[in-house]
Amino acid sequence: MKSVALRAVDAVRDDLIELAKSVYAQPELGFEETRTARKVSAALERLGMRVERGIALTGLKAVRTFSDDGPTIAIIGELDALRVPGHPSADPDTGAAHACGHHAQLGQLVGVAAALGAPEVAEGLTGAVAFIATPAEEFIDVARRLQRRQDGELRFLSGKQEMIRLGVFDDVDMAMMVHTSSEGEPGRFTVGGTSNAHVVHHVRFLGKAAHAGGAPWEGVNALQAANVALLAVNSLRETFQESDTVRVHGIITRGGTAMNSIPEEVVYEGRVRGRNSDVVDEVSARVERCYKAGALALGAEVEIITIPGYMALRNDSKLCELFAANVEAAIGPDTVVHRAPDANRGGSTDMGDLSQLMPVAHPFVTAATGSGHGADYEINDYESAVIAPARAMAMTAIDLLADGAREGKAVIAAARPPMTRRQYVTAQEERLRVVKYRGK
Amino acid sequence: MARALTVDDLKRRVQAEIDRHAGELVRITKSILKHPETGFKEVKTSRMVSETFKRLGLQPRDGIAITGVKARMDGAAKGPNVVVMGELDSNIVPDHPLADKETGAAHACGHPCQIGSMLGVAFGLTADGVLPQLSGSVTYIAAPAEEYLELEWRMELRSRGKIEFLGGKPELIRLGELDDADICMLTHTSPELKGFGIAETNNGMVGKTVRFRGRAAHAGGAPHLGINALNAAQIALAAIHAQRETFKDEDHIRVHPIITKGGSVVNAVPDDVRMETYVRGASVKSILEANERVDRALRAGALATGATVEIATAPGYLPLNQHAPLADIWERNAAALVGEEAIASIGHRGGSTDMGDVSHLVPTIHPYVGGTSGRGHSEDYMIEDFDLAVVKAAKAMAATVVELLADGADAGRGIVSGFKAPMTRKQYLALTTGLFNTQTYSE
Repeated sequence: MKSVALRAVDAVRDDLIELAKSVYAQPELGFEETRTARKVSAALERLGMRVERGIALTGLKAVRTFSDDGPTIAIIGELDALRVPGHPSADPDTGAAHACGHHAQLGQLVGVAAALGAPEVAEGLTGAVAFIATPAEEFIDVARRLQRRQDGELRFLSGKQEMIRLGVFDDVDMAMMVHTSSEGEPGRFTVGGTSNAHVVHHVRFLGKAAHAGGAPWEGVNALQAANVALLAVNSLRETFQESDTVRVHGIITRGGTAMNSIPEEVVYEGRVRGRNSDVVDEVSARVERCYKAGALALGAEVEIITIPGYMALRNDSKLCELFAANVEAAIGPDTVVHRAPDANRGGSTDMGDLSQLMPVAHPFVTAATGSGHGADYEINDYESAVIAPARAMAMTAIDLLADGAREGKAVIAAARPPMTRRQYVTAQEERLRVVKYRGK
Repeated sequence: MARALTVDDLKRRVQAEIDRHAGELVRITKSILKHPETGFKEVKTSRMVSETFKRLGLQPRDGIAITGVKARMDGAAKGPNVVVMGELDSNIVPDHPLADKETGAAHACGHPCQIGSMLGVAFGLTADGVLPQLSGSVTYIAAPAEEYLELEWRMELRSRGKIEFLGGKPELIRLGELDDADICMLTHTSPELKGFGIAETNNGMVGKTVRFRGRAAHAGGAPHLGINALNAAQIALAAIHAQRETFKDEDHIRVHPIITKGGSVVNAVPDDVRMETYVRGASVKSILEANERVDRALRAGALATGATVEIATAPGYLPLNQHAPLADIWERNAAALVGEEAIASIGHRGGSTDMGDVSHLVPTIHPYVGGTSGRGHSEDYMIEDFDLAVVKAAKAMAATVVELLADGADAGRGIVSGFKAPMTRKQYLALTTGLFNTQTYSE
C-alpha cells in the first residue's frame, strides 16, 4: 500500500509544488484566504473529493471515508500568510507574505489526499481521513479580527480555535501536519517538543489631544503612557524564569495621528507567551499592571482586552514515533531529530489548542533559509518542504488505518487528552477579559 | 548736638566704617568658608556670629530655630524695623576643595559672604553719629538651614519636635521671630555678575522623600521571588520625565530627584529604595499641579512592579516676590558703588530660597552680588572677589538701610505702608502646614 501511495505522490509531484508556489505568489492574511482556499479546494475536487468550504470564513474540509468503523485522521494545512511587507513576495497592498512557509503545507495536504485516494490504498484502510485547511494560524491583525468578532463573524480569533468551536474536529480522532523550518540541517525532520501558550493583549491608551506646541499641558499624552508601560514591562523581565520560556512582545499599531498634536489614542498589540497557560496567565496579570501604570503615570485611561491565544502543544509520542519511522523509511536513516516533550521552540501554534483535545503530531522539516517570520525566510527546497512530508504523512496514515486501524485505535487508547471541546471553549471564553482603568 | 548730617553724609560715614573693618569681615567670611556646616548644625558658625555681635556691643540671642542668631540695633526714634539677614549653612558637595572631609559639607553657594555682608552692615551702622540720626531699628538675623537638604534627618528632627518646618526661615516665621520685621533684605552671591543683580521672582518648591519597598530575593538564584524597588523607582523617574512636556514655560517647573538609597547589596533584589526630590515652580498653584503629576508617576512605579511606595511631601519654600520699590532704593545705592552698567536685571530665577516665604509677609529684597566663579552648588563654585561679595554688598545694604530710616524714616514708612502682604503669618502657617502630606500606595 505504501509503495502505491508513494507512486501516487510522485505522479502529482510537480502539481503539488506548483500549488505551493502559486499560493506563495498570492499571499493572503488570516480569514481572508479566499483565493488560497479556492486553489486547495480545486485541487482536492480534481482528486474526486467533495469539499466543504467557507468554514470559519475561509477554511475547508474534505473527508475520504474508507469505512465507518475506524478512526478519522485529520491532515492539516494552514492557509494564511504573515504580514512582512519587506519580504520579496509580499503583496504590495496588504503586506502579506509567506514568511512562515504555510504554502508548503497546502501542497503536502493535497499530496496526502492523492496518495490515500489511490484505489489500492483506499481499499485496505479502515476509518477515514479528513483534509482540513485552516485559516488564520498567525495571530495577527487583532483589531480587525476583534471587529469581525463584534460583527458576529467569529468568536475566536484563530482558525483552529474557531473550527474547534464550530465542531469541525468533532469527528476527528487525531491530527497531523508538517511545518517548515529554517533551523537545523537541510532536509531533516524534527519530531516532538512543545510550543508556548500565549494570550494576546489589545491595549488602547486614551489621553487627550492638544496642540503639541501651543498647549501641550492641556493634553494627556497617550504615547507617553504607552512608553512608560512598555518600560515597565521590560523591568519585569528579570523575574522571568528561563524554564518558563516567557516571551513578552508587541507592536504599536497606532501611535498618534498628527505629529503636531498630543497623541490621544495609542493602540498596542502585544503577546505574552509561556510554557503553559498558568505561566501565561500569571505573567499576563503583571503585564496588565504595567499598562495601568502607564495610564496612571500620565493620568490617561487604558482599555485592555485580553484575548485567549494558544495553548501549549502536546505532541503525541506514539504518533510522533510512527511518523519518524516513516520519514526514515521514505527518505533514509538518520533523518529525524527527536526532541524531548518539554523542548520548547518559543513560538506558538493553534495546533496546541487542538492537542488539548486529541493526539496530534506537529513535526518540522528543515526546508527553508532565513529567519522564520523574517523578510529573508524562503523555502528553497520544495522536495523537502512538500513532497517528503506528504510521503511521510501518507505512510503514517496507512500505518494508522491499515490492518483494521489497529495502530490508530492504539494511539487513541493511549492518549489522555486533557480537555473536551466544551471544556476547551469554556476555558478560552473565560480568558477573554476587558479591563478599563483610569489613572489618577 | 552736632549739626544734622545729610543722608549722603550718613551713607559715607557708614561705608567708611565698613571699609575700616573690611579686613575683619573678609577674615570672618573666609573662616566660615573653611568650616562648612549644613543646616540646623551650624554650631561653630553660629558661635562666631554671636561673638562678633558681642564685640559690637550688641546682645545677641542664640539658638533660635536651633542655630539661628539675632541681634538688634536701635535708632534714636521710633520707626520701621529693618531686618538684614545672612545664612549660616553650607551645601553638601564632597568634591569641593573646601569640603569638610567627614561630612562632605561645602560652601558652594556663597553663604559665608552673606554673613560677612550682614556683619558689615552692623559694623557700618556703629559709625559715629549714625544711629542717632535713624528712626527705627535694624535687626540682624543669621538664619539657619536655607539649603533644603538632608530631608530624612530633618524629618526626624521634626518628628522629635525640634523643628516644625524643614527650612530655617519658615521656622523663624513660625517662632514669631519675624513678627516685628517691617522690611527684610539679604544679599546672595551669584556667579557671572559684574557687580550686582536683582531678580524679579524666584521659584518656590515643595520637598519630597520617597521610599519604594519591594521584596528582597537572591538576584541570581531567584529574581522571580523578588519585587525590585529600584525598578519601581526607575519607572517612576521615567514617568516623571514623560510629563515634562506638560510643564508650562511660565511656570518654570523643576523636578530633579536624587536616589539616596538604591539598594543594599548588588546580589539581592533591592527592596528599599529611597529618593528625595523638589518640585519647583513659579507659583504655589503650579507647584501643586506638578506635584500631583509627580505623585502619580511615583505611584505608577509601585503599581507596575507590585511594590509599595511611601511619599512624604513637605512644604519647601514659597516663590519669591521681590518688592519693587525697595529694590529700586537698593539698586540706586548699589549702582552708586559699581556703576549702573554693573547692575543686572535677572528676571525669573529657577532656584528657590526661603526668603520667598519671608517675601509673603514682609517687603523683601534678595539681591545678588558677583565675585564668585563656577557653577552654584557644585565643586567649582569659588569666592574670587571678597571686596565685591562681602564689602560692597554690605555697603549697598547699609546705604539702603540708612536711606530707609534717615529723615524720620519717611522712605521706610512709605515701603511699609505701600506693602499689601499676600498673607498673614496665620495664613502662611495654615498654607505651609497644609502642604505636609504622607501617602502609602500599593495596588
